[in-house]
Amino acid sequence: MSKDNSCNITATGREALHQRQQAAATADRRVSVAIRTAWIAGLAVIALLIGVTTWSIVGARASNTTGGGAIDGLIAPAAATDSGAVVIGKPEAKVTVTVFLDFMCPYCGQFERANGGALAAAIANGTAKLEVHPMSFLDDLSSGTKYSTRAANAFVTVANHDRATALVFSQLLFAQQPAEHSAGLTDATLAGLAAQAGAPADVVAAFGKRTYQPWVAKITTQAFDSGITGTPTVKINGQTFTGDLYTAGPLAEAITAAANA
Amino acid sequence: MPEGFLPWLRGLRQSDRWIYSTMLVSALLSLTASFVLSVDAIILAADPHAALACNLNAVISCGTVGASWQASLFGFPNAFLGLIAEPVVITIAVASLGGVRFPRWFMLSAQVVYTLGLLFAYWLFFQAYFVIGALCPWCLLITLSTTLVFTSLTHVNIRDGNLYLPQGAGRLASGFVRADLDALLVAVWLLGIAAMVITKYATVMF
Repeated sequence: MSKDNSCNITATGREALHQRQQAAATADRRVSVAIRTAWIAGLAVIALLIGVTTWSIVGARASNTTGGGAIDGLIAPAAATDSGAVVIGKPEAKVTVTVFLDFMCPYCGQFERANGGALAAAIANGTAKLEVHPMSFLDDLSSGTKYSTRAANAFVTVANHDRATALVFSQLLFAQQPAEHSAGLTDATLAGLAAQAGAPADVVAAFGKRTYQPWVAKITTQAFDSGITGTPTVKINGQTFTGDLYTAGPLAEAITAAANA
Repeated sequence: MPEGFLPWLRGLRQSDRWIYSTMLVSALLSLTASFVLSVDAIILAADPHAALACNLNAVISCGTVGASWQASLFGFPNAFLGLIAEPVVITIAVASLGGVRFPRWFMLSAQVVYTLGLLFAYWLFFQAYFVIGALCPWCLLITLSTTLVFTSLTHVNIRDGNLYLPQGAGRLASGFVRADLDALLVAVWLLGIAAMVITKYATVMF
């Protein structure tokens, strides 16, 4: 009797245990399926991210090399020197002021606002001539419109027509300088400013051809290869000017000093 | 691959030695970056023109990040916070490697404070990425190392049950960590951040 009873209890107990074990096994299986799914999904995302990243690196490399290598069909502006500068002023002027700039660079704008007047005066009275290297390395800061290149192209196009007009145009470009990460000035605004500076309509109409775009890319690379690390870089008779670029005075004094030397 | 390498690796990942070593290395990286950025901030304060020239490699920058209001949200350079906080993490990591066990409330406090730091670091990252539109390499190193410190701190706190989580959540969290899903999550996260940076700046970087 007691044996039967104990047998019955054991049987019930075993069944309950079995059920618990089965439930636990089902739960375990569910958990391990969830874990496996998470790993597969995670690894897939990782593969995808690596793919996207690699693809963008390869794309960037390709576009950079074609950008730098599209020197075939390169047209150098007549107004420019071999070193990539547009020279403004009397060739025989005693002092040469060299400026590496990007029309998008805010500090170049600050430099222009502080020293533009003094430079124009020194050019006008024959003390100095200005060599402008219009670079385009901030092209990525104009929401894809390549403002630096467009402005530089417009600047040299005007310079081909007349250097003095180009200087006025450059001052207007800095006076209306667009903010970084904006779309830059539109082509229409560039044309308007050039006309305001005194460029004739046929010169302005040529902006759209982007004739000097490859040249601008070339001289930008060339400037960096020659050791320029940023803009504005200002040189007086070949010596880098290390004084204060952003307040009126120091540069003008240095020009006077060089003229009297 | 030798038999049993994966189990060995997974065991290592759960060990104090591994967790606190990675915490130590990440905190040292973070401290270094904070130090560099603090020194930069002082140089910039002394001579605002020091960073004015638009640096090419910092197309990325023009001193833009350092000069932004976001860079000193609390009225002093953010990097000072790293100089204050990271030595504490370094102390915790070194002491723990030496066998010290901190009370639960202590580890929970560390977790809370560091979580705030992580949120701040990511707020800065997204500000730099979307609003300032410039990135500085040292700031990116801080984003990375802060993430790694947070990861190892969270890992150890879940493993040791220091977070006072309700029972269900605690079991879920420790199961998650035991299955190494935290490592997977962090890998996906960091790769995502790297992909964001590279796809946006690829033409400048490569």
